[in-house]
Amino acid sequence: MSQTITIKAFGMVAEKIGSAELTLENPGTLLALKNQLATRFPELKEMKFGFALNKKMLTSDSVIPVGAEIALLPPFSGG
Amino acid sequence: MEKERKPKNIFVQGAISPEKIAHSIANHSSKTDIGGHSIFLGQIRADEKPEGKVIAIEYTAYEEMALEKAFEIREDIFSKYPLTCMHIYHSLGKINVGEICLFVFTSSKHRKAAMQACDELVERIKAELPIWGKEILDTEGHVWKVNS
Repeated sequence: MSQTITIKAFGMVAEKIGSAELTLENPGTLLALKNQLATRFPELKEMKFGFALNKKMLTSDSVIPVGAEIALLPPFSGG
Repeated sequence: MEKERKPKNIFVQGAISPEKIAHSIANHSSKTDIGGHSIFLGQIRADEKPEGKVIAIEYTAYEEMALEKAFEIREDIFSKYPLTCMHIYHSLGKINVGEICLFVFTSSKHRKAAMQACDELVERIKAELPIWGKEILDTEGHVWKVNS
């Protein structure tokens, strides 16, 4: 079974990291993922963005299941 | 028996044409229990930014999540107001100033439900759907749109 997760980035976050999609080893939890992203992309530290796990907004730390899709979502600006 | 509703695509590539809006209104003439429609149209504004003047907005979305969320919002609004019909269309891609990028259309027996539902829908669409607008400037740069 795959231990990787898919990261999808949007808007300003995708622009900053220079990519819309990444595949990573599953770090296990959202907190661990945040730390990993901050190390790999220091420019994200000054940005405000939220996370969605399998298309649902995450409001607190959470276990990341195998094969999960995690989206990095800057503030919405539709309409 | 109540009709089961399924997620609908709300996204339109490019601007929403006035003809599409007119056609959508005309489609309701056979629904004679409707007494009032409410329509909101979002138009691209030529904002003056410190970095330049906005000439277009390029919209992108996390489409799968946006459609799931739009369906949830639809269901909430249908259960809250006695509506006959509800339609939501949002543009993706580059929309020039003066063009329409959002079309929200509610219909009911009486005006108040249609008007209140339309207002609440627009607020929720702007706050809850994962859609982003990149404001293209006449100086060749861009800034990311911020919803107020």
